[in-house]
Amino acid sequence: MAGWRGSRGGGERAVEHISSSRSIRLGKVQPQAPGHRTVFCNDREANALARFKGNSVSTTKYDVITFLPKGLFEQFRRVANLYFLMISILSCTPVSPVSPVTNVLPLALVLLVSLIKEAWEDWKRFQNDMAINNSTVEVLQDQKWVFTPWKKLQVGDIVKVNQDGFFPADLLFLASTNPDGVCYIETANLDGETNLKIRKALEKTWDYLTPEKVSEFKGELQCEQPNNSLYTFTGNLIISKQTLPLSPNQLLLRGCSLRNTDYIVGAVIFTGHETKVMMNSMKIPSKRSTLEKKLDKLILTLFTVLFCMCLLGAIGSGIFINRKYYYLRFDKSEKQFDPDNRVVVGILTFFTLITLYSPIIPISLYVSVEMIKFIQSTQFINNDLRMYHAESNTPALARTSNLNEELGQVEYIFSDKTGTLTRNLMEFFKCSIGGEIYGTGVSEIEMGTAQRSGVKVEAQKQSNVAREKGFNFDDARLMRGAWRNEPNSDSCKEFFRCLAICHTVLPEGEETPEKIRYQAASPDEAALVTAAKSFGFFFYKRSPTTISVRESHVEKMGKVQDVQYEILNVLEFNSTRKRQSVVCRYPDGRLVLYCKGADTVIYERLADQGNELKSVTREHLEQFGASGLRTLCLAYRNLSPDLYESWNDKYIQAKSALNDREKKLDEVAELIEKDLILIGATAIEDKLQEGVPACIETLARAGIKIWVLTGDKMETAINIAYACKLINNNMKQFIISCETDAIREVEDKGDPVELARFMKETVKNELKKCQEEAQQYLHSVSRPKLALVIDGKCLMYALDPSLRVTLLNVSLNCSAVVCCRVSPLQKAQVTSLVRKGANRITLSIGDGANDVSMIQAAHVGVGISGQEGMQAVMASDFAIAQFRFLTELLLVHGRWSYLRICKVVTYFFYKNLTFTLTQFWFTFQTGYSGQRFYDDWFQSLYNVIFTALPVIIIGLFDKDVNASLSKKYPELYKEGIRNVFFKWRVVATWAFFAIYQSLVLYHLVVASSSRAVNSAGKMFGVWDVSTMAFTCVVITVNLRLLMMCNNITRWHHISVGGSILAWFIFVFIYSGFVLPKAQENIYFVIYVLMSTFYFYFTLLLVPVAALFGDFVYLGVQRWFFPYDYQIVQEIHRHEADNSRIGLLEIGNNDLTPDEARSYAIMQLPGQKSKHTGFAFDSPGYESFFASQAGVYVPQKAWDVARRASMKPSWSKTPRKN
Amino acid sequence: MSSEDDSSQSHSKSKKPKYSRFTQQELPSCKPILTPGLVIGILLCFAIVFIPIGLITFTATENVVELVDRYDEDCIPLKSPHNSENERAGFIRDAGTNKTCVRTLIIPKKMKPPIYVYYQLDNFYQNHRRYVKSRSDHQLRYASHVSETKTCEPEATTNDNQPIVPCGLIAWSLFNDTYRFSRNDTSLEINKKDIAWHSERTKKFSSQVYPKNFQSGSLIGGGKLDEKIPLSEQEDLIVWMRTAALPTFRKLYGRIETDLEANDQITVVIQNNYNTYSFSGKKKLVISTASWIGGKNDFLGKMYMAVGGTSLLLAIIFTVLYLLKPRPLGGPTYLSWNRNRAAVRES
Repeated sequence: MAGWRGSRGGGERAVEHISSSRSIRLGKVQPQAPGHRTVFCNDREANALARFKGNSVSTTKYDVITFLPKGLFEQFRRVANLYFLMISILSCTPVSPVSPVTNVLPLALVLLVSLIKEAWEDWKRFQNDMAINNSTVEVLQDQKWVFTPWKKLQVGDIVKVNQDGFFPADLLFLASTNPDGVCYIETANLDGETNLKIRKALEKTWDYLTPEKVSEFKGELQCEQPNNSLYTFTGNLIISKQTLPLSPNQLLLRGCSLRNTDYIVGAVIFTGHETKVMMNSMKIPSKRSTLEKKLDKLILTLFTVLFCMCLLGAIGSGIFINRKYYYLRFDKSEKQFDPDNRVVVGILTFFTLITLYSPIIPISLYVSVEMIKFIQSTQFINNDLRMYHAESNTPALARTSNLNEELGQVEYIFSDKTGTLTRNLMEFFKCSIGGEIYGTGVSEIEMGTAQRSGVKVEAQKQSNVAREKGFNFDDARLMRGAWRNEPNSDSCKEFFRCLAICHTVLPEGEETPEKIRYQAASPDEAALVTAAKSFGFFFYKRSPTTISVRESHVEKMGKVQDVQYEILNVLEFNSTRKRQSVVCRYPDGRLVLYCKGADTVIYERLADQGNELKSVTREHLEQFGASGLRTLCLAYRNLSPDLYESWNDKYIQAKSALNDREKKLDEVAELIEKDLILIGATAIEDKLQEGVPACIETLARAGIKIWVLTGDKMETAINIAYACKLINNNMKQFIISCETDAIREVEDKGDPVELARFMKETVKNELKKCQEEAQQYLHSVSRPKLALVIDGKCLMYALDPSLRVTLLNVSLNCSAVVCCRVSPLQKAQVTSLVRKGANRITLSIGDGANDVSMIQAAHVGVGISGQEGMQAVMASDFAIAQFRFLTELLLVHGRWSYLRICKVVTYFFYKNLTFTLTQFWFTFQTGYSGQRFYDDWFQSLYNVIFTALPVIIIGLFDKDVNASLSKKYPELYKEGIRNVFFKWRVVATWAFFAIYQSLVLYHLVVASSSRAVNSAGKMFGVWDVSTMAFTCVVITVNLRLLMMCNNITRWHHISVGGSILAWFIFVFIYSGFVLPKAQENIYFVIYVLMSTFYFYFTLLLVPVAALFGDFVYLGVQRWFFPYDYQIVQEIHRHEADNSRIGLLEIGNNDLTPDEARSYAIMQLPGQKSKHTGFAFDSPGYESFFASQAGVYVPQKAWDVARRASMKPSWSKTPRKN
Repeated sequence: MSSEDDSSQSHSKSKKPKYSRFTQQELPSCKPILTPGLVIGILLCFAIVFIPIGLITFTATENVVELVDRYDEDCIPLKSPHNSENERAGFIRDAGTNKTCVRTLIIPKKMKPPIYVYYQLDNFYQNHRRYVKSRSDHQLRYASHVSETKTCEPEATTNDNQPIVPCGLIAWSLFNDTYRFSRNDTSLEINKKDIAWHSERTKKFSSQVYPKNFQSGSLIGGGKLDEKIPLSEQEDLIVWMRTAALPTFRKLYGRIETDLEANDQITVVIQNNYNTYSFSGKKKLVISTASWIGGKNDFLGKMYMAVGGTSLLLAIIFTVLYLLKPRPLGGPTYLSWNRNRAAVRES
């Protein structure tokens, strides 16, 4: 397909493989230095010599020519397919007892199905590419904007992009309609963040806005070679002999879209596959489920069995061959029948038998399983109404279909806290200003704590006034200007100003308090700005240098005035600084630094005065923390102009530093962020997500251990753990923390080596102690559940290879583990520790960029969708809108998938083994000659037609108990964790019955047909017997499938009946005609058979006799050794399946009583979540600022390109343009 | 459901999945539970159905009178331990020797016609791969295809490349012992018509194809064919060429169409031509009547009774077990997690 496009797209791509860096520009004789690219803006001819790549992109895997070879190559990388290819080749040789059709046909069908699927997917990608390549953009041509398809775009072209349009390539930002040459972009396609980001053009180019003006633009651009770093860019623009340095601030990346700006003008720098977004495209490493890996082992075992069977036959044939069987004419004419060379006979027979027994390897297994899983994920998981979140309008999404059954075996869940357990809906809840607490709410945690201590807390009445999102605060002392009457009204004013000024929020929409929307990197920030607005300090406009605030009641009650603060510097947030400051100039010239940040860092930097305020506020902070609120300290500092100027010089210097800019900026910031005056503290509540405690309780009952990995403080984490019922008072808690006096003491000495040694020693001792205690508890009578709480620093030492085993031992004995203050890397480390160290199946769930590594490290990654960021979702295997949907995903879909796939796999194993073994028994009675028992077509269609459909039906429809019972009895899930249904014992049982059945099938049919079979004394030949046997096999294996079904739908009847019917129809037709050129062994056989009574008696007897053993086994197993699910089935055997009614109600947007209750609880005003971490600890925050500052942020592994080329969002562009 | 459709139309942007019984996995279904009662019931059903069928088929074949006479050892002057197989095979192969052999059979019970005469061979691998594929169905069916002998190796053509009709090892090794029956010196007519399946005679063996160059080589495998009779009427060949499934097999030789009374003495004059001696195969002559279900094949009947009997036995055992130690259906105490808890409590 790429081939077509190449030829259609014109010659620009023809030479694209020649590296542009080496080409020489003849005109200006200017060699392109390696590592640099020189672009002449607005000069196609000059650029033509550099032979840059065109702007058309192709994400297809194949084109018309490469499809077949490449697609087939992909297919043959599967062992089973390769094996069948070899068998097919072998069956074309004289060694083969079967005609090639026997093996070629199934292989061809399997390949056909797979290739059609590939082709279809690729076709969709191709159409998508075409839509993108053909969308148009305005390009400057002859002083006019001309609509041009994206694919015609060339490096150096000047383009105009309108509001909401997408950038067609990586552009150099020249000019925008906004004053100050800024524009706003949305990078949702790139990293999923919906916040707007500011880009600013170089001042020199601001004027090039109209076509007339731009056509005069003749800049020479030197920049780095295409690379995949999204957040870096270096280059120089040379215009009118001036060299201007370029930064990422002037780069507009393909995949982003323009917002809040009428249009911009830019020059194309990188095109097509050389754009950063395309260079970023990487494949998500595909995960394979554990069951599938075990399946490989089973296949390997089958190969071994096959080998043994063939070896046995080969030896037999070597012994059998003898000239005395004169009628077989063994002689030298054929090597395989040369009695003088028995070794060769054996070897050749070995190959003969391999082709004969090839059906023992279930060739269609992988394709069937793939198909089943695909339908499971696209039809069942994606469409489950129980996992549809109406508020965010988000259904569940299975991003991969090969991990469905893994969901049924998860033993460990690693969960992020913020945004996963909690809603990440930050609400301004309380504050402490000048030593006074304001805010009357009671947080969820407080209620939880109260309940734990036995106090019944009335769900608070709270006014049902529709409050604004992000603001859940009520205190008459502060609202509507009442703060003026407070004793500390000055502090209040500073407090509100700090909230309104010190942030990086962008306002959007109309400039009225009701209509405005705040674009913030973290919901905390938005909540704070919203709070300021509610207090009467309405931030409504931001320009690059100013912030406009509409202040009420400041001078006088009721008076409103617009104030413009000049923003001189923004000292941005990062995780080391844990604070953020702005330096602003009041209209009256006053210089103030406002700072907000984590309590620890702010307190370190306070001036030495007002100790009382400090200690009171500290108390308040602790109080907030205990209530599970996220806190921030606010402080300010008045600056004298001299001090500021001297500092600003240093700042500018640091800002223009080329090396270690980040570090230098931090250092400079330290210089001014001191001697701060404390204003107060904010407390933000992050509510627990709906249904989280119930979900966690259910999952715990299901035998799943939940680990919470959070960046929060220990107290917060423990509180949250209590609130969501992860930990309760009956549990024995182990706490390993570095916040001990002993450690502090060593810390104070300041010797890092000594500290590390000491820490390690402490952690080691702690772990040892825990381990011993855990052992004691485990052996005690009461067997309390255990919980472990560990903080990030200790974890760092505990993850040391020497301590890892102890850590693992301790933590595996705990039913709940809380790791606090952990970094994203540690999250991943902990996950892999359990995954690799304990070899358990793990699931990670998270919502933010900081969870990506953890999500990818686990067996199954789940992302929370429907929220702001998309990073976690892009890296995940499944995306759900709410944490509580995990119950549905694991206990219902996961468990069913596991059950079904187990059944499908074992059934495949059984049916092919049974079939092949009948063939094997026959071999013994043919002088080990490898004579086939069944006709070629019977054998080849056995797998693909006569037994294909029912097994897919069972893979789709089988369910032991219905969805509501699955959740009512979460313990059923343990069967999956213990892998009850796909153990070697299960396989061995199936193998045993396969052997038993094959013996019954073969010997009963053969023995009973050795005498005259009708009243005319006539006898059967080998083909009559084999057709008889085949009929019995088809009926038996199909009936066996019905016996393993837990429920039988219409589809079961249709597929099972249809399969048997298909066999009869086939054989009626097949034996009714004489096919030209064929050996007509089967001719008329079925009619001969059906003319005898013998046929019908055998047909009744043999399947029953064959399945008799299975039937008794199933009966006895259920009677005496029942599985749990069977008991549950029995308990509810009389109940009608009423879950449907519930769903119908949801369908009508009504709620079931249960849901209504949970919804009501959710609506209760007093119910919020808690959190004491400082408020900036929120996903995506760091990268947001980093990207603004042009700081390199570690490579993110989600598949950027795929998202960027997603059709729905892109197809808008041509219409808008 | 209609109201839901309406609502989904009204918010056209809703990503809410549509309800269907399929996607919500709520297809109506029956959920069979294999309760002990059901197990016992089904076993009893098996017993009730299978034992009578077994009895019927068993009695049907019990009435069949069958007489088996192994003659290969007695019909050769060279006795087994003293003479090697090669000597005996040489004797049989020698066209000059007299291979007539007379056997006397006593009819144990009255046999009503049609009485079928079979020959039975043991240790003869008609199902060997080399043997089974050594034939040409086209040649047998179409006169125009007589030279299609590719599949017949190593018995495809004569030395001068003339196609052999019928070609292949199967035809070449055609059984050629003959039996003549007489009772009290009156010979009994053996009807050799209609001993092959009708479909074979009419469809697979052409009336236009005549044997040619058959058994003309140096090695003679077995019987010869009359070149004047078309293949479709060579019923011995047709029977022989329907290869048997097992190395021990019977093939129909002919029918005697008169009553044989109990204790009748039947004299059989056998032309012992066929060489089974070289591979120690056995040859047997079988005289048998047939019932509506076929020959004396009590295997089916016995199996029916065995399955039915086992069902009955198991049903009784299970019933006793059930009475002695009943398991209440769906007792929550049987759930594994409850069992564990109970165990903990007990300890």
